[in-house]
Formats: sequence, structure tokens, C-alpha cells
Amino acid sequence: MNATEISQAAAKRSAAASNGAAVHLAGLRKHYGDVKAVDGIDLTIAPGEVVALLGPNGAGKSTTVDMILGLSRPDAGAVTVFGAEPHDAVSQGAIGAMLQGGALLDDATVGEMVGMVASLHRKPMPVAAALQRAGIEDLAKRRGNKLSGGQKQRVRFAVALVSDPDLLLLDEPTAAMDVGSRREFWRSMQAFTDTGRTVLFATHYLEEAEEFADRVVLMRSGKIVADGSVAQVRALAGGRTLRAVVPGATATAIAAMPGVTEYQIRGERIAASSSDSDATLRALLATYPDARDIEIAAMGLEGAFLSLTSEEETTR
Amino acid sequence: MNPKYLALEMRRVLRSPRFLIFTVAFPVLLFVLYVGLWGKDQPTKTTLMVSMTAFGAMAASLTTGARVAVERNSGWQRQLRLTPLTGRGYLSAKAATGMLLALAPVVLVPLIGGVVEGVSLDAGGWLRVTLGVWLAAIPFALLGLLIGQVGTVDSTQPLIQLVLLPMALLGGIFIPVESMPGWLLKIAHVLPTYWMGEIGRSAAGQASSSIGQAVLILAIWSVALSVGVIRRYRRDSARV
Repeated sequence: MNATEISQAAAKRSAAASNGAAVHLAGLRKHYGDVKAVDGIDLTIAPGEVVALLGPNGAGKSTTVDMILGLSRPDAGAVTVFGAEPHDAVSQGAIGAMLQGGALLDDATVGEMVGMVASLHRKPMPVAAALQRAGIEDLAKRRGNKLSGGQKQRVRFAVALVSDPDLLLLDEPTAAMDVGSRREFWRSMQAFTDTGRTVLFATHYLEEAEEFADRVVLMRSGKIVADGSVAQVRALAGGRTLRAVVPGATATAIAAMPGVTEYQIRGERIAASSSDSDATLRALLATYPDARDIEIAAMGLEGAFLSLTSEEETTR
Repeated sequence: MNPKYLALEMRRVLRSPRFLIFTVAFPVLLFVLYVGLWGKDQPTKTTLMVSMTAFGAMAASLTTGARVAVERNSGWQRQLRLTPLTGRGYLSAKAATGMLLALAPVVLVPLIGGVVEGVSLDAGGWLRVTLGVWLAAIPFALLGLLIGQVGTVDSTQPLIQLVLLPMALLGGIFIPVESMPGWLLKIAHVLPTYWMGEIGRSAAGQASSSIGQAVLILAIWSVALSVGVIRRYRRDSARV
């Protein structure tokens, strides 16, 4: 195969991927003045995947969600949702979304709001079914201004569900929910994804990503810095943390040990992130035979999150 | 237009006390009060009836458009952009709601005029006071939409008053046109309120210009405001 054939094959592959994909982003960019909110993103989400979009504030999560929804137009790059333009996917009722912020009416009841959105869609599910799935049948007659923060979120969920969409986009869906309603929310969410729907959710709660997502996409400064299963993303960040009490430990000695990617020393206590904790431990014991209280733990997603999203900032 | 959506929109507005007070009770009460004060003869009563019908219609259609600001700021407008409802559909539903509400004063004030206050007009006259004035409220429904697309939740009410009262005063709704000095009349001739009044006044032969001229000027206002509303909506939705 010569170069042209290869590139043609690649183009064909990517076209096929974008046709079959639930969401396909290619070279997506959005700048606001000097701020590169989204700075070149490529992402393909297969139908049925549940993907968590993680990142610190200002990482570009909401901007990305807005472009997938067609609410804002990319400066460069392409978005397709089930092979269609976002706008067309929206008018076919293929996308449901829970947006951040208000987005409810104060002077209408929950039933009216969900009914209003349903009346605009071509093939909605019955309003009662949407309320039931969101767990708010009992709130149907309540006005928007009489709802608690957590209830409002669930009304937004019902609004997102009522078009019976194939793709759900949730921007911080459990913000303002207490622990109990958060758990309940994810339970109704899972009932929905069990029917083979695709979900992309942005969240601050890492445990939610860990527990509910098949795949985690980590963003920082408008770029994707990690993309994979929860286990893969964890591994990317260097795997394990080693903690021990090491009398006489010096920074240079710890830093020089095999596998160490990052370390902290406080008095006699050391904490080191390591890509090869076995080798680090052997070197530690060889150098400091009296090291004690040794603990080795897999790095949580939170550790991965912190090290992946702060890495470049410290070297800058 | 989607009738179920429109019905739900109507229900929301009908529920608000502001609607009942300002668009139904206010023009009716003012009319009864003014007739009691100055309504000595038929022509005066007719003028007062026309003025209060016009005032009620413009207030109703203006205020409804302003609800757009609330929905825009709360993010509901964004949520609706995630449905098959187009921007055009949304805006025309809002304008239509305003027009439907304007029917209340347009029916009530002339009804009380005819039944209680003894104003008598021929069939064509009644048609001008009701249907004519109602159609002349179109530019105000559009103006309300424009204010709603420009203002914030806090600024729309003051903005509406800032438009409503001067336009009513300078356009000859609260001041009889015949007692206006020449310079004021020149200003009045530019305002849609004046021409709305002219359509109503022509019912009893009190208009000083042809109905065609009134229709033309109101149509120009409507087209210009529509362009403004659409441009503003596009810019707004490109931003958020």
C-alpha cells in the first residue's frame, strides 16, 4: 500500500467510525478571544457506551457538551451525532440533555414543563413515564419555584428523557443533590442505560465516574489528557502509591529510586507515587532496612485525576 | 405552530396575577372612571373607549413578550433549543400568546362601552374598535419580544414602562389628539400608538387620516421590529 492508499483507507475508516458512532468529534476547537476553551479534541463514542467527562473547572467540558448539542458552533472541526449534524439530531429527538443551571420555569408545574417539551417532540414517551423514570411522579402538580435543588435536577432529568433520546448528555447532573438522591438518580440512570442508550456525563464527583462509567475521558485546558476505562486511566497516572515511615530518608535518595514519579517527605514519613511499586519497595528496603509501616495502595481515580490534570502545570 | 405548546403558554400567563390586574382590570376600570369624569357626550365616550381598548391591547401584548427575558436568563430558552422547536417557532408562539391575551381588553372594553356606557356605533365601527385595534397591537407584541431579548429579568419591567407610558402619552392615548400642540403631533405621527388610535377613532369618523395610511405605517413598524427581533435572537443564540 502506498501513502495515498493508506490515507484513503484511514479516511474510510474514520468515516465508518463517524457513521456508526453515537458521537464523533474530529479536530474540535472553540476559542473565546485568547482563551482556548476547546483546543483540538478527537473523540468517538460508540452506541451504548457510558462515558464520564472529567476535568477541573475551565477544562472545556461544558463547551464541548454545548458543541455536541449544537448550542454553540465550533471554530474548527466537526461534530456528528449518530452520523448527523447536531442540529438535525436534536430535531429528530435523538439527543436529550440536562444542562447546567436553572433551565426550569417558576410559574409552571412539573407536569406542564415536561408536557410542554414532550409536545414539541415528534415521538415523545408519555409524560407520566418520563416522570416515573426520573422518580418524580409525586411532584407532577408542583410549581417550579417550590422545588428543592435535588428535585429540580430530577425534573431536568425528566425533561431530558421525555423525547426518548438515544443519547443523553448530562452536564453535572448530580450537583445540588444530597447523597441519597444522588444514589437514586444513578439508579434510574442505570435503568435507562441498560436499554442500550448512550450517555455522556460531565461531573466533579470522581466516585460517580468510577462507579457508573464504562469509560473516562479526562480534559485539561481544552485538551483530552486521558481516555480509557477507569482501570486504564488509573494505570496511566502511574499505578500505586507507597507510604512508609523511613528514618533518615533524603529527597535525593527517594527521587532516585526506580519507578518513582512523584514523592513527598514530611519528617520521617514518605509518600511516593510509583509506576513499579515492587522495584521501588525493593530499593527502599535495600537503602533503608529499618523502614516500617509500609503501605502500598492502588491510586484511585482521584489520584490519577490530580496527577494527570496538574502534571503540566507544575512543569510550566 | 404547535397548538398544545401554545395552550400551555397561555395557561401560564392566565395564571399570573399581573395579567389579571394590568391587562384585564386596569383598562376596564380606567375606562369606567374616565367616562364618569369626562364622558358627557357620545364622541368623548367613543374616544375614551378607543383609547382604553388600545391601551389595554398594547399593554397585554408588550408584557407577554417580556416573559422571554425570564426564560432566556433562566436557561429555559436553551432547553427549548434542544427540541425540534425552531427559533422562529418559539418567537411566534410568544408573539401569538401576547396577541391572544390582548383579546381580553379588546373584547371587554368595547363590550362595556356598548352595553353599560351606551356607546353606539355601526357594525363596521365596532369591527374597527375591536378587530382593527387588535391587529394594530402586532407591532407591540414584537416590541415586547425585542425588549425580552435585550433586557434582563430585572430590567424588562422598567424597560416596558419606559416604552408603554411615553408611547401612550405622546401617541394620543392619554391626551386627546385634538388638544395636542403641533410639535407634539409631529412626534405622535411617528408612533404606532397614534396609528392604533387612528384605526379606532375612524370607527366614529374621528380619524384625521385614511385607514390605509395607518395600516401602512403599522406594517412598517412591524417589519422593522421583526427584523430587530430575529437579528437579536440569532446573535443571542450564537453567543450562548
